[in-house]
Amino acid sequence: MLYNHQDLNVLKDEIEFVDTAVIPFAYGDMNEDPKMHASDMEMMQMITVHLEKQFKGRLFITPAVVTVNGITAVVEDYSEQLRNYGFKKIIILSHNVPQVEGTHGIQLNHIPLEDMSADMKMSLIDDEVKDTMKQIIAVWNNKK
Amino acid sequence: MSQKVTRRQFLNYSLMGVGSFMAAGIILPMGRFAVDPLFQGEAEGAMITTSIKVDEITEEPTKVDFSFEQQDGWYKSEVTDFAWVYKDGDKLIALSPVCKHLGCTVTWAGDDANPNRFFCPCHNGLYEKNGKNVPGTPPRGPLDQYEVGKSDGFITIGELKPNELVN
Repeated sequence: MLYNHQDLNVLKDEIEFVDTAVIPFAYGDMNEDPKMHASDMEMMQMITVHLEKQFKGRLFITPAVVTVNGITAVVEDYSEQLRNYGFKKIIILSHNVPQVEGTHGIQLNHIPLEDMSADMKMSLIDDEVKDTMKQIIAVWNNKK
Repeated sequence: MSQKVTRRQFLNYSLMGVGSFMAAGIILPMGRFAVDPLFQGEAEGAMITTSIKVDEITEEPTKVDFSFEQQDGWYKSEVTDFAWVYKDGDKLIALSPVCKHLGCTVTWAGDDANPNRFFCPCHNGLYEKNGKNVPGTPPRGPLDQYEVGKSDGFITIGELKPNELVN
């Protein structure tokens, strides 16, 4: 499910089944290697699109949360909100996973996508997606 | 005795010749435009040819990718989707991989305990090979079916339609 009108309507009724929220969390700093953050963000976008396709009925992908200077307060508040909405599991998908209580972090790899041919890019992203899917399934199977 | 062509006759003939070429130049394209819809009819068939050969398909459902252009507002993009295709006797069957519960992607034999069923990893939904949802699991309906055909030995995929194999 995505953060749009249509999916939110379904979400309200099916919160029992859509029990996992994924927060894509990225850095948008301009002073420290913005190019790296930009390519990280692009990669994260592609991964979330694939994830949504595979696990549409159980994942809610929130709008991406962007921060600067490593401030994590907004993710903390957001995960609190999501928990109150009814999500049982909250996953933070990021290249720089923050420590937030009660959430699961999935660490993505830095991949310099800009230097690659389209085919190579696709296959690397595919691998990363598979890896992320495995970690999400592990979170689901680990009944806590 | 050779027949003489008079100057007047010669001019008449050449005028008629040139005139008919000019008339044809105008009328033929007009005529072609007028009957054009008759030729177009089937050209835009909805079947999409895939890169998988019919011979490669067995009784075991196989993933067959296909891509098509999708228009989203002003934006056109190439979308890749796939179908589970298998042979039932000589008949080809293509099922949509979209779970009828909440839209996850189902896999064939994804669950070790159910090697001959489609499995949805989101809420452990199960479907029989013909797409029938297994009672007691979350899905409430059978998997949708694609029109399927062959062209030059390759699989073609068409429109999505409700499952017709399950009663």
